[in-house]
Amino acid sequence: MPLLRDFAYVRSGDKGDVVSVGVIARRPQDYPVLLASLTPERVKALFGDWVQGAVEIYPMDNIEAVVVIMRGALGGGATRTLRLDQTGKAMGNGLLRLEAVMPSGGSEAA
Amino acid sequence: MRRSLRLGAGSGFWGDALDPAVELLERGALDFLSMDYLAELTMALLQRQRLKDPEAGYIPDLPAHLSVLLPIARARGTRIVCNGGGANPRAAGERIRELARELGLAGLRIGVVEGDDVMDRLDDLIAAGTDLTNLDTGDTNFSAIRNRVVAANVYTDSSGIVEALAQGADVVIAGRVSDNALYVGPAMHAFGWRYGASDTDRIAAAITVGHVVECAAATTGGMSSRFDEMPNMGRVGFPIVELDADGTAVITKLDHTGGRVDRFTVKEHLVYEIGDPNRYLMPDGVADFTRVHLEEIGPDRVRLTDMGGGPRPETLKLVVGYEDGWIGEGMMFFPWPDALGRAEKAKQTLGERFERLKLKADAVQFDLVGINMLHGPASPMPDYEPAEIGLRVAVHTASRQEAEKVRRACAQLWIMGPGGTSFGTPMKPRPVYGVWPTLVPQSVVTQRVSILEA
Repeated sequence: MPLLRDFAYVRSGDKGDVVSVGVIARRPQDYPVLLASLTPERVKALFGDWVQGAVEIYPMDNIEAVVVIMRGALGGGATRTLRLDQTGKAMGNGLLRLEAVMPSGGSEAA
Repeated sequence: MRRSLRLGAGSGFWGDALDPAVELLERGALDFLSMDYLAELTMALLQRQRLKDPEAGYIPDLPAHLSVLLPIARARGTRIVCNGGGANPRAAGERIRELARELGLAGLRIGVVEGDDVMDRLDDLIAAGTDLTNLDTGDTNFSAIRNRVVAANVYTDSSGIVEALAQGADVVIAGRVSDNALYVGPAMHAFGWRYGASDTDRIAAAITVGHVVECAAATTGGMSSRFDEMPNMGRVGFPIVELDADGTAVITKLDHTGGRVDRFTVKEHLVYEIGDPNRYLMPDGVADFTRVHLEEIGPDRVRLTDMGGGPRPETLKLVVGYEDGWIGEGMMFFPWPDALGRAEKAKQTLGERFERLKLKADAVQFDLVGINMLHGPASPMPDYEPAEIGLRVAVHTASRQEAEKVRRACAQLWIMGPGGTSFGTPMKPRPVYGVWPTLVPQSVVTQRVSILEA
């Protein structure tokens, strides 16, 4: 089963208790896989109780990237979280564990 | 009026390397060197230092940095713009004036920008009925933290920086201006841009390129997902923006420095730590990152066009820092064989010690280092026997005394715990500063500029 890691790179960081993840297609043709794979439901299911709030997904067609906003996702924010990854830098990479969904009902759907 | 500008990014955070900034000044033919030192938490730390010593509260490294940078900047005709004034821009300015005199930089003009600190006016704001609802949590009960507040700073726009530059400042020392204003300010000054319809897209362009370079090495290969491909990152070059008056720009770096600038490294930073990319809100305006066009036009050169956005918001972000208890933390490491089993048993033992020591905790978190510390519930359990595993515990408490119990309990496992365990130096409890972000009307802030001459 291919994972999102085969199609994307990430850079992530924090803003208060929000973790913001930029997911960038490895190649332009991988961008539709990102769009199909990244849904609020799948992201919430992946991180379980580490993401307490809503998840928002913003496509950026101009650079073949998707911004994933996870609210209530940092254990209270960088200054008071009990996690070692205080700013969500490592957490963004966790998104690459998602099974890749091929667009338009392709055979690799999770 | 200028047609184009060269701006260098000299610092991405307090603790960043100085040698790339020196290289930029020496060889960059820069008009401006912008240096960001502040993060959300920094203001609370600096405000605490100021409470202990009224002459402190600025970035402690600032004099050392500027003693190296100012002589080169003066020789090259580059002006420096920084937010290293932190919680005490005035004291920083006075210190830098002394320093400039010691260095023989007579006549150097130091622009001090103040006005972001609203600590003394919080009660007036509350009395006037200002809504201080927490932006993150929706919590409206500000009074619950009022008597624990240590810092209250508004992320201000670039107008103070513009004013200081107009008054001929060679170096601008600001407090909690937005990081972004360190780039937008020089652009607005040099190009004569004004808030309002005709310059809105150009200001949004400056906001965009400011965002792309403000974390310095983060757009020249630092933090990259393709770090393994980035050459000589130990002598990385910090980024340069060539910004044109028409609102187009090129991101580049110096020849013979490490790292890389290409379409990918610029993309990586365009998406970094943002919210809705259609509306990147800054005090100087709103940038739309979804319309930017990136084009590689040469080695380490990326052109940005089609930048734009909307007018500045009517509210500004106020971040209140407050004392929020303590964190006690410990770590220990277990060897093969059965490393995971030892870690699980140690976790259980620590739980018993916490009970015996009557630890009063608001929250306790255990992590298995090497298993799930970084990705939490997203982490799979290993299907092999690990060579080593760590156990980390972190506990939030109301007082230092309670947090100390965590250190004590972890140390007690030196002999009470599993055989073969390896402990590092025990970690001291650390104070926690909570951050309460909220929005206030622009009218709350009046920036003040003064020029000190060496």
